[in-house]
Amino acid sequence: MKSRFRVLGAALLVAALQIGFLAALVEGRASILRDGREVLLKVEPVDPRDLLRGDYVRLGYAISTLDRSLFADQEALLAHDAEIMVRLAPGGDDGLWQAVGARPAGPPAVVDDADTVEIAGRIDGTPGGSETVRVTYGIERFYLPEGQGRPIERDLSVRPFRMLVAVADDGQAQIKAFFDGQRRLFEEAPY
Amino acid sequence: MGNHATRLKSEIDGWLAAGLIDTETAGRLHAEVESRAGSRFGFASVLAAFAALLFAAAILLFVAANWEAMPRLLRLGLILLLILLGYGFGAVATLRGYARLAEAGHLVGIAAFGGGMALIGQMYHLSGDEAQALLVWCGAAALSAAMLRSSALTAAAVVLATVWMWSEGWDIWRDGTPPAGALPILAMLWALSLWTRSAPARHVIILSLSSYVVLAVVGGNVVVAPALLAAGAAILFVVAVRLGARAERVFGMGGMPVHAMLAFGLAMVLLHHAFGDGAGLAVVALLSFAACIGALVLSRGADRAVRWLAYLGFGVELCLVYVLTIGTMLGTAGFLLASGLLLALTAFVVLRFERRFKMLRQTQEKTP
Repeated sequence: MKSRFRVLGAALLVAALQIGFLAALVEGRASILRDGREVLLKVEPVDPRDLLRGDYVRLGYAISTLDRSLFADQEALLAHDAEIMVRLAPGGDDGLWQAVGARPAGPPAVVDDADTVEIAGRIDGTPGGSETVRVTYGIERFYLPEGQGRPIERDLSVRPFRMLVAVADDGQAQIKAFFDGQRRLFEEAPY
Repeated sequence: MGNHATRLKSEIDGWLAAGLIDTETAGRLHAEVESRAGSRFGFASVLAAFAALLFAAAILLFVAANWEAMPRLLRLGLILLLILLGYGFGAVATLRGYARLAEAGHLVGIAAFGGGMALIGQMYHLSGDEAQALLVWCGAAALSAAMLRSSALTAAAVVLATVWMWSEGWDIWRDGTPPAGALPILAMLWALSLWTRSAPARHVIILSLSSYVVLAVVGGNVVVAPALLAAGAAILFVVAVRLGARAERVFGMGGMPVHAMLAFGLAMVLLHHAFGDGAGLAVVALLSFAACIGALVLSRGADRAVRWLAYLGFGVELCLVYVLTIGTMLGTAGFLLASGLLLALTAFVVLRFERRFKMLRQTQEKTP
């Protein structure tokens, strides 16, 4: 009888752990959508020939290419795939946010400005001698229902698209809504 | 496994002929071997394993299709339910004594877990670290394997670790290197395979080690890694052959000499890639010829797979040397002529060894 309980118990425990892990993953994302600060980013096509990969479009942002001068600490640039925090501030009347500074991810921020938001990113590879640095934020993909990718891929290089992104306190970014000009294409509910 | 049973049965016949056991005992032993072989390898269990693999593929495709007809939370709920059903089915099957069916349930469970992670990535448009997701998947498989003492989940963890190693280490645009964590992870999975009594997992780990060396070579480490692989394989072969029948118990798996020879062959091919001509080529070629002959002499032709792998290695090496050196200078006719000569030479060597082994066996049979 004891072994019967043990076999069933072990199976239930394994299932509960795996289900719990996935549920926590979902809840973490949903909480960013609910409570994260909203920033509006300008979408830029990454590679016009190859945007559509299976069922998602690859996206780039204006903040995907950062000027080297934004980094107060140039040493942070040297590490391979370095994790960084990029400070965003609302600029201009079009509602788009721009990068105003960047720092290594480790130590806490020195400036604490309520009007700006810090987003977590990762330098792509090792930056060479160029003036700019490529950064990814984990929001470079937009999954679409099958067959809807082509028109968006085509329009992306013609018209400006914008992305509403929610940013958590620790800087994690989460896609919230995708705009074609002023028109809302997709909006993500928390679940 | 069938191989093992056949060998055991011929041994029993040998004992009977030698008068060590009587006819009745021999009959009982035969029945015992047959019953064990039957329980290990049943048609139904093979079907169950294939069904589990098909289920798993269906789950992954289901997620990949981004099927809009169903709200995504419902899709996620279905996948979570599938996890529960997979492990629940495993538990019920274990209690009823169908160990293989239980493993099929476990595989469905872990596939559903991976599908769930992919679905969440799709739901929230996550981009970035696929390699990390694979590592999490591998960790979940290993943990579940430990908790359920599941051989199939251990093997699945090894496969996932290998895929992780390649996705982390291989980069088409720049020289990749195998991730530093790969070897410790494989070592840990070997330890896990002792707890879960998983010989299949050990087979996959050995193959994964060879693929690690290939990855290291692709990443620019062209000499040291294959040289180490060759040395390790040679030592392993000698140890396995010296242990003889005990090797299966010591390593916890059969076929170690064959694994060692395959790894050695791979190392030689990689070294040939590094040393395409001149003295380097000669050294590598001599080394592999010596290894083939050495394998035959050391194993005394006792293991049929080892014997034929050695002949194969010998033949392949001859062809390689030919292609790398003179093949470029001769025309097609010359190529055919030379191939014929090479084949004749190989056949001559094989014949000589086969005759010697036959004589050896005959004298052995006479002596007791």
